[in-house]
Amino acid sequence: MSLAATAFVIRAEMVKTIRIYFSYPVIVVFWAIFPVLWVFPFLFQGRALVGSGNSAAFQHLTGSGNYMAFILIGAMVSNFVFSGLWGVGNSLREETYWGTMEYIIASPTHPLVVLIGKTLAEASVTTCIVALQATIISLLPFGIAFTVAKVLPVLLLVVMLMVGFYGFAIAFAGFTLLIKEVHGWVHTLEWVFFLFSPIRYPVQVNIITEFVSKLIPLTWALVAIRGIIMLNQRDVGLWNIVGVLLGMDVVLLVGGYFTFVALERKTRRDGTVGMH
Amino acid sequence: MTNDGPGQSAIDNRHSSLVWRLRHYANAVWAENVKEWKLELTYPLDFLRSLIDPVVYLLPYVLYGIALVGGRFSPNLQRLVGTTDIVSFITIGYVFIGFLNMALWAMGFSLRKEQMYGTLEAVFAAPVPRWIFTMGMSMHSILHQFLMIVVQLIFILAVFSLKVNPLGLLPALAMIGLMLVALYGIGMIMASTTLLFKQGWLISEALGSLLMVVTPIAYPLAVLPVFMQKAALAVPTTYGILTARHFLMGEQMGFSVGTAFLRVAVLCVVWVVFGLAVFAVIDRYTRRSGTLSHY
Repeated sequence: MSLAATAFVIRAEMVKTIRIYFSYPVIVVFWAIFPVLWVFPFLFQGRALVGSGNSAAFQHLTGSGNYMAFILIGAMVSNFVFSGLWGVGNSLREETYWGTMEYIIASPTHPLVVLIGKTLAEASVTTCIVALQATIISLLPFGIAFTVAKVLPVLLLVVMLMVGFYGFAIAFAGFTLLIKEVHGWVHTLEWVFFLFSPIRYPVQVNIITEFVSKLIPLTWALVAIRGIIMLNQRDVGLWNIVGVLLGMDVVLLVGGYFTFVALERKTRRDGTVGMH
Repeated sequence: MTNDGPGQSAIDNRHSSLVWRLRHYANAVWAENVKEWKLELTYPLDFLRSLIDPVVYLLPYVLYGIALVGGRFSPNLQRLVGTTDIVSFITIGYVFIGFLNMALWAMGFSLRKEQMYGTLEAVFAAPVPRWIFTMGMSMHSILHQFLMIVVQLIFILAVFSLKVNPLGLLPALAMIGLMLVALYGIGMIMASTTLLFKQGWLISEALGSLLMVVTPIAYPLAVLPVFMQKAALAVPTTYGILTARHFLMGEQMGFSVGTAFLRVAVLCVVWVVFGLAVFAVIDRYTRRSGTLSHY
């Protein structure tokens, strides 16, 4: 297939995915509101255990005692990761439910190209939702302010984070072809991220979580993003972290590609593509 | 053709007797429970994952608490509810999320699951009321929940050593039993919404998120805004958590134990009656409109 034809397929898949997404506006509203709502129990827990919006112990661990800002930034950035996990990782499973999976497999396009279209559509929608959340949160008294000088490096970090993560999600999509029902596994994976990366708490509080967290790109991205937004640190070792994320991106993209291709070939050979 | 012989009359009498009917219903509940266990144990890896999940879910809450106070004990919590141990406080509170999930997800999705399997029509044609079916589902879910709690508690006991009053266990279990009845009512409402909206996950997710905020899992009611405190009083798990923590670790509830039991008893009646009524209305509507088998 020529490059132009591939680009056409990616564009068509993006348009299709976005159309399906906006056919259920209530789901879009849900994803814009509820991830922020999920943060509230942690804010109330903080108020109950500390008695104010500032914690000295938290400051000792993270450099800032403002646990509310810590949690909200974690919620916004993790939105990208989790929507990728559900939207991309689970997307081929959805095609199976809709009864359209066989058409994709039988078309002269590689399923990976279709998956890239889905990934770009998912990334566009999530970016809009997170931008909306960030605007609302910056207007509320949580101590989070966004300026252009902060937003640009944060965007760079988010892009670096997501490139690698979509590699992982593509591998996961291949996994869904193999084991079919992965709903529970996506939930477990979601909570593994909650436990081993600093989305909701500083992982340095425990030696095991601190060690494991270093293997997850989200940890590196969150530490740098919080440094920029909360601590006004211009020098958070940005280029070092970009280098680490770049290395992880290469591993995850290459690994994701080969995993997907191998699993897709296996399901075709086994004749289980159309099975539920 | 009619059959009015003496034998038939005896059978009719036997069938109409309350004891016979209750035994018949109990058999159906048990059969449904066994069926669910068989289905679940067909996927042993998934079953194992479901036992480990609650521990993974709980830890971020506990570690976040420790990061906030710099240790295990919070003076502010002591000031608010008379207890300082945040690990025991959060763990006991968190156990109840499982029961909430039972009502919202396990029971709520019971009918949707049957629809996915293609067996909903067969279940609805069975000679028992439909609420019996969801009761069987909730029985399986409750047993599963207790199994998960055991794994959760073993882990927490091994790692953090939970400090609770063992004498409080029985009254706490009594409250949990009462709370489960009220949650059954909420589960019936969720089950009926899936008949109506089919893909009812959005309602379960939205309601679950709201209940998670107002339920005092990892914090006392006092830190919530007043309107949320009032909303929390209509949720059975609020009383379950507060009373269990009161019995097990001496949390001050702001009302007496008797009041807590009385309020949950009222909630049982309200939620169960309301749940059964909503289920009956929606069940009738979907059958009349012919949308029962729609996806």
